Amino acid sequence: MGPPEFLIAVTAILTLFVGLPWLIFHYVTQWKKNGSLTVEDENLLDELHALARRLEDRMSTIERIVAADSPGFRPSVRDAREEEFELPRSTERPTRTRRREH
Amino acid sequence: MTPRRTRFYLDKQNGKFLGVCAGIADYTGIDVLLVRVAFVLLNFATGFFGGFGLIAYFVVAWLADKKPRELDYEDREDRKFWQKVRARPGNSIRDVRASFRDIDRRLADVETHITSQNRRLADEIEALR
Repeated sequence: MGPPEFLIAVTAILTLFVGLPWLIFHYVTQWKKNGSLTVEDENLLDELHALARRLEDRMSTIERIVAADSPGFRPSVRDAREEEFELPRSTERPTRTRRREH
Repeated sequence: MTPRRTRFYLDKQNGKFLGVCAGIADYTGIDVLLVRVAFVLLNFATGFFGGFGLIAYFVVAWLADKKPRELDYEDREDRKFWQKVRARPGNSIRDVRASFRDIDRRLADVETHITSQNRRLADEIEALR
């Protein structure tokens, strides 16, 4: 085996077994660092999500009660659960879609 | 190990065999049927026995845990929410904030309505005197 062939073999092996895994692990760690939540964050998000849904339910109840008491009052959005099955949310809630874009 | 929403679990309840495909579908939000078709196609592409697909299937089934009971979703919206969290955590946090703002706005509407109504009521009582 001449020196150039030997060099080619060494470069190929180095690229395949050192360079490639290194590259992959580099991107995997970067992706993990950017994309994942810690346990605390996740629990917090869980709690906030549940809280938001409870509050939304209560809000709908209150809006219904107020609307029944006085016909002049029109709730700006309908019940969240009704929307889910009838229309995509974007057509119903301008505030949400606007924020989701950026 | 504490159960986590953002970890991959086998979904044995909805699974056909060991629940790997159903688990992937549950994790990503892709339809189960699509995941299964893709899996079968992968097997055809690599050759069934000694191929990549089946080995990967059993390795995943062996490594991953069954989904704990406490992580069951309340309903469809809950499931969608967590699938989005797995895909893009930042966006879902912003969504939660948006829903809080939405509630805030609706509450403000109700408050304005109630206070204005009460003022009218007070005015009329005043007029009756």
